[in-house]
Amino acid sequence: MSTLVQVKELSKRFGKLVVYEELNFSVQDGEFVSIIGPSGCGKTTLLRILGGLIQPSSGYVQIRERPVKTALAARELGFVFQNPVLLPWRTAEQNVALPLEIVGSKTQASTPRELLKIVGLEGFETALPKELSGGMAQRVAIARALAFKPAILFMDEPFGALDEITRNRMNIELLRIWKEERASISSIIFVTHSIPEAVFMSDRVIVLSTRPTRIEETLTVDLPRPRTASTKNSDRYIKHVEHLRKVIGEY
Amino acid sequence: MLRPESHQPLFKAKSARKGIETIGVPILFSLGIFAVWEMIIMAFNIPAYLLPPPSMIFVEIGTNFGSLMGHMGLTMLEATGGYAMGNAMGFGLAILFAHSKYVEKGLYPYAIALKTTPIIAMAPLLVLWLGTGFESKVATAALICFFPIIVNTVKGLHSVDSDAIDLFRSYRANRFQIFTKLSLPMALPYIFSALKIATGLSVVGAVVGEFVGANEGIGYVILVSSYHLETVTMFAAIIVSAVGGITFFAAISLLEKKIIYWQKGIETA
Repeated sequence: MSTLVQVKELSKRFGKLVVYEELNFSVQDGEFVSIIGPSGCGKTTLLRILGGLIQPSSGYVQIRERPVKTALAARELGFVFQNPVLLPWRTAEQNVALPLEIVGSKTQASTPRELLKIVGLEGFETALPKELSGGMAQRVAIARALAFKPAILFMDEPFGALDEITRNRMNIELLRIWKEERASISSIIFVTHSIPEAVFMSDRVIVLSTRPTRIEETLTVDLPRPRTASTKNSDRYIKHVEHLRKVIGEY
Repeated sequence: MLRPESHQPLFKAKSARKGIETIGVPILFSLGIFAVWEMIIMAFNIPAYLLPPPSMIFVEIGTNFGSLMGHMGLTMLEATGGYAMGNAMGFGLAILFAHSKYVEKGLYPYAIALKTTPIIAMAPLLVLWLGTGFESKVATAALICFFPIIVNTVKGLHSVDSDAIDLFRSYRANRFQIFTKLSLPMALPYIFSALKIATGLSVVGAVVGEFVGANEGIGYVILVSSYHLETVTMFAAIIVSAVGGITFFAAISLLEKKIIYWQKGIETA
């Protein structure tokens, strides 16, 4: 395994407010990494810095030993936010086509129709966002993020606004999509505030502290894949969840 | 696993009935109001020069239909002309505002000053500059439409979700693409709400212009009939002008439903 994302001495300040001071970590090829921490610790900002959408105050992020900007320009990064941000005047298919349209790329790997099929939305091509449920809207957002076959998928609390049943189903769906698209999507970096979700999904969980934010702990989740609903009954899963609760101070 | 639910035809029958309701119910209510009005005048013997009965007004509209329509047609031409000009200019300025903080800061106070100055106070000036003809009425109508479109367009362009901007930036979209594919469509509901408000305002603007100096138009008819105490004619003209304004509003509302079909709460007919 080689290093996919390298974060070196990353700091971010907004005026006098120090958000992070010298964060160091890396993400390996093929890893699912969750970032978790108390609200207000800057998870969302961190994800946007990792994805090159926000500049750090100092330090740097490298993707495959190149600056993150280069990876962004090469369309190697895909994004899914908590709000699916579908354009309401476009059908599901047209929403998925948006990135291809903006770039004007002729070398598209899959058609929007195929991408919708990957996320289980065959037959919904002509549906408008107002006709989709929250889970379905987020599926469209995932399909759109897959348009360029990104090497890394950055996800910012993608299922945070969904009810628990839908969220659990979407967790399993995301793992299925990741497995099927492994040829292109190497890693997923996943911000969440749900400890069970982080443990269930990840190979590694990075726990952030309150501000000024440090890495409190990095937990390696040694649960076998594929993970299914029964994974949550295993002693090791429960032990990891309890451990993280202690670290974050839920008790 | 997921089935294509019937997301298309579900509302067809419902919307047809709703259409009848939105037009039928107000008409029934108006008929009721006219009936009560008529009865009150008969019961209390109110003289026609104070408050004419609806029957007399409608006879008046019927007999002078051609002339009233001629005057109203002119007023509507002035109103719609001013409407088009005011909205086009306001929209252009709003885009400038949205893209330059300095222009917004510098010009916004003037926009507010324009808004708070009563249009009736400026109408004589416009007539002085542009004459008693068509142009001064177009100008008053344009002036009165100017403010709502600026405020709403700026608000609409700023209403774009920051996640959506991040998404477009992740595709490295340029400013023009962000504007045409994201901000402008997002602003459309705000823009249309200004366009709807401006329908009625533009008729007000044209009529005010006619009050100040004109020899034709529905405002002129209202003014002259008031001088001569021809209250029936005045009422006829008022009703005709109201119907003109309502028709204009309905036309823009219809356009809104066609263009913003995607908005939540708007049913596609």
